[in-house]
Amino acid sequence: MGSHVITLDPQVPPGPLEMKWDRRRFSGHLVSPANKRRIKIIVVGTGLAGASAASTLGQLGYQVECFCFHDSPRRAHSIAAQGGINAAKNYQDDGDSVARLFYDTIKGGDFRSREANVYRLAQISTQIIDQCVALGVPFAREYGGQLANRSFGGVQVSRTFYCRGQTGQQLLLGAYSALCWQIERGQVTMRPRTEMLDVIVVDGHARGIVVRDLVTGRLSAHTAHAVVLATGGYSNVYYLSTNASGCNVTATYRAWKQGAAFANPSFTQIHPTAIPPVGVHQAKLTLMSESLRNDGRLWVPVSPSDRRPPNEIPPSERDYFLERRYPRFGNLVPRDVASRAVKAICDEGRGVGPGGQGVYLDFSDVIRQQGIDVVRERYGNLFEMYERITGENAYEVPMRIYPAPHYTMGGLWVDYNLMSTIPGLFVIGEANFADHGANRLGASSLMQGLADGYFILPYTIGHYLATVHSPPIPEDHRASRAALERVEVRLKKLVQAKGRQRTAASFHRALGKILWDYCGMSRCAAGLRRALEAIPSLREEFWRDVVVPGSGEAFNQELEYAGRVADFLEFAELMCHDALHREESCGAHFREEYQTEEGEPRRDDEQFAYVAAWEYREGETPVLHKEPLNFEFVQPTARSYQ
Amino acid sequence: MRQAAQLVDVARSKLMASLAGLVLVGFVIVHMLGNLQVFEGSDAINGYASVLRDMPIFLWTARAGLLTAVVVHVGLTVRLALRNRQGRPVPYTLRRYRAASVASRTMALTGSLLLMFIVFHLLHLTVGIIDPAAPHGMDAQGRMDVYGKIIHAFRNPLYVGIYVGGQLVLGLHLSHAVSSVFQTWGIAHAALDRLFKLAGPGVALFVVLGNLAIIFAVFLGWVRT
Amino acid sequence: MKFTLRIWRQRGPNERGGFVTYPVDDVSSDMSFLEMLDALNQRLIVAGEDPVAFEHDCREGICGSCSLVIDGVPHGPDRGVTTCQLYMRRFVDGATITIEPWRAKAFPIIKDLVVDRRALDRIMQAGGYISVNTGGAVDANTLLIGKEEAETAMDAASCIGCGACVAACKNASAMLFVAAKVSHLALLPQGKPERTRRVMAMVRAMEREGFGSCGNQYECEAVCPKQISVRFIALLNREYLRASLTETRLSTRSDSSHGESY
Repeated sequence: MGSHVITLDPQVPPGPLEMKWDRRRFSGHLVSPANKRRIKIIVVGTGLAGASAASTLGQLGYQVECFCFHDSPRRAHSIAAQGGINAAKNYQDDGDSVARLFYDTIKGGDFRSREANVYRLAQISTQIIDQCVALGVPFAREYGGQLANRSFGGVQVSRTFYCRGQTGQQLLLGAYSALCWQIERGQVTMRPRTEMLDVIVVDGHARGIVVRDLVTGRLSAHTAHAVVLATGGYSNVYYLSTNASGCNVTATYRAWKQGAAFANPSFTQIHPTAIPPVGVHQAKLTLMSESLRNDGRLWVPVSPSDRRPPNEIPPSERDYFLERRYPRFGNLVPRDVASRAVKAICDEGRGVGPGGQGVYLDFSDVIRQQGIDVVRERYGNLFEMYERITGENAYEVPMRIYPAPHYTMGGLWVDYNLMSTIPGLFVIGEANFADHGANRLGASSLMQGLADGYFILPYTIGHYLATVHSPPIPEDHRASRAALERVEVRLKKLVQAKGRQRTAASFHRALGKILWDYCGMSRCAAGLRRALEAIPSLREEFWRDVVVPGSGEAFNQELEYAGRVADFLEFAELMCHDALHREESCGAHFREEYQTEEGEPRRDDEQFAYVAAWEYREGETPVLHKEPLNFEFVQPTARSYQ
Repeated sequence: MRQAAQLVDVARSKLMASLAGLVLVGFVIVHMLGNLQVFEGSDAINGYASVLRDMPIFLWTARAGLLTAVVVHVGLTVRLALRNRQGRPVPYTLRRYRAASVASRTMALTGSLLLMFIVFHLLHLTVGIIDPAAPHGMDAQGRMDVYGKIIHAFRNPLYVGIYVGGQLVLGLHLSHAVSSVFQTWGIAHAALDRLFKLAGPGVALFVVLGNLAIIFAVFLGWVRT
Repeated sequence: MKFTLRIWRQRGPNERGGFVTYPVDDVSSDMSFLEMLDALNQRLIVAGEDPVAFEHDCREGICGSCSLVIDGVPHGPDRGVTTCQLYMRRFVDGATITIEPWRAKAFPIIKDLVVDRRALDRIMQAGGYISVNTGGAVDANTLLIGKEEAETAMDAASCIGCGACVAACKNASAMLFVAAKVSHLALLPQGKPERTRRVMAMVRAMEREGFGSCGNQYECEAVCPKQISVRFIALLNREYLRASLTETRLSTRSDSSHGESY
């Protein structure tokens, strides 16, 4: 644990931006085909990143062992992405290019991401579309048979490819089918219903993982020459989020405890258009696609005391607050900007609906102008979903929406090769921190997950494997036994904790409230300090009072959940430390102390143009390491959408 | 047995069973049309029967073909049904159907009843051992008096009951079977699918109404003696 | 609102199961069906009892995890939705609701309402893919695919693999699932080269897993949360027939021909 000293060497190749990835690919050592067969790689997670990586590594000839906690690798939460995937194809000839996608992404991330990574992402974006089409992903087409695009998420070109409202599902099914092929070929061994609970580190290198079989409860150690984490994001730390109920921080958090630096943990994206929560029973927030903002207008009554039904409020007494504050982008400002504006309105007491948590998203204008059929064709399924959940017909009364935690830009720190500070531990997809800076643009997460999995990791991991000497280690190696014991002790502690009969969910809900209030859409030093006091005491209560029924040696969903909540209870503190130390406002991280008079965020490039990578120290406050961000090719500017 | 049932090539069995079934469907249609000649009087139908009997090779080949179709159809569907039953060893306590018609849900039952009915029908009107009181003689032209047999049989409420029951079972079985054939053979078409769906009930109605017309006409005395 | 729940409880795959009745009150009409079960489980945990095991994940109708037979219908009384998208306002206050797991030989019960659906994955592994290596794909617009064709393929591809079709079928047949998968790839030009091998392999895998055969009753379509049409079953049958007729068996090692791509 922490046996090695963390150094943040981003390993970015020298030279012009466009040449960096080519140079890396050329300079990287190759593993001979004969050796590949003897090399085993563990991939944890089967979302877009994990499934595409596992299948490609299998295709290259490595022996891959792939783990997921679902019953099938096809269920990972990438499946829920609705909107689309960006690529700089410029099929619409509307001025798009790799450089523009690069610039949009780095600006959208508020200049808190690594130039070289983002440029590579934009370069690879076009290959992703080709690959997915070859795999049979049924992207939307024009009548002439060419691929269709739409504009999405605060950009001015049409570069988003989509499959109705199920782009994530189709892309994942594509990657899953590739994975199926490799399973059939015997290159990938798939282990569903297993949860990774620790990393095995031998001589400073990641050499395996400890997993729990979720059906039998049996713990086992699995060793390999390298480990890839593709375990997604941690929005569920807020309890209510748009994530699937299984999404958790456990894998990356346990890796953190073994020495992997955690970067920018407080950069969490709050999506503006989710259905508002209604009561304590609420288990998740349902996202309404961002595309709704293409036609819907956000407003609240001018007067906070206006309790009339929305249709009776005349236009003059409505405040179309996004159009008022951001006349250039209007309702299409990026997610962080929109979310913050909604929160500001609700904090002023002008929110609508139960608890004043919500604003109207009104389609009456577009219905009047273009007809109800046009709206039905574009958004019919979303309107249906909205009615099912709320019991309201959005064709007649405006929708109510409220922001919800959605995506985490933060994650394990990785270098240009996607390797964490533990050599041999690679991190891809949402689980790493890399490409989105302080805010992610719409339709970019699918792009990043697939870029990492199909095209980047398979190259960079080869270089690592070709240059490192890793003797085979038995599954009962000393380090494996130690890791197994750590996991066992913790599980036992959970099962035995049967105090004052409070459920894990009630702790999770309490933690979520603390974070939402103090480390959510806007943060301030005083609030974060309060959170840093509240979280440890909540954690203490958890270990004293939580009740976990049943035993560890059987199928036990509550035990799985309690273990994840226990990790959230520790991880939340790290988030608050990160948010507290970053005394600026950038992207999704909005510190109330650092804003302009108009309430716009004030970034501080002098002091904070770096990636904050945190090191775990047992029993101590996490230690901050900084990776400075040097902008050689773009000039950071104030990110204004006004 | 369990193992053997698993090794059934299900998809091919289905195709074969439906093919055999189709032969039988063809037969019941022709059989019904032929028998409608009852309405033209004894001369027509007895003549029709004797034409068939005058072509022994044709007749026996047809009979052999039909028997083969029955054996294949029954054999394969029974095997499939047994295998299908293994598909769900623990049944639902509560089950609500949304789409499945009564006919489709009772195919095994109607199939079994139909088989029994066919055996009965053969013994009754073809072999003639069920009802010894039936006329076995020849008509004026020295042909087998099919007409007399029919009249005798369907003046009896007991036989009318059995045959009407048999027709209902046949109708149910056909109404699902015929539409099913299109699906099983992959004949689907956006514009014609409704027609295919109606084909089953249509054919069933056609055959059953034709047969019932004969039975009731005789029973109610509308057919000239 | 108040309800009486009759829930199938079964400790493990080889144990006897049975119904246990739980009264629930304080149910809000805004609750989803699964949130109502969450609330019951919270109560059971605090009371020291074993909570009801059921599967769920995305809770927005796309991951295909949730799998309950509610009052005799997979995914419950609403059409075109998954269990997680079912809301309590759909039920009559005071009703008794019976909840059972998917029942099929190919889906053995793991615990309570959780079943093992890996059989569907094994069918996919048998051939539900296009064998194309990463990298080297031609430009996506090189392949023109008509809008109609793409949309129909998308209709088939929208299958979420929940297994409701199997649960609803009298014969526990997986035909709609296999049909959706085969059709998706058979309708696209990319999928054409392997169509013969694919359909044969997938149909055989389905039979190996112990799913029943299709009885053309169309219960599957009626419960499918994505309302996938049984016309895809006709298409599957056609593909199968075509493959049966064209499978030449000239190359007996066709199943291992991928070996050369090492």
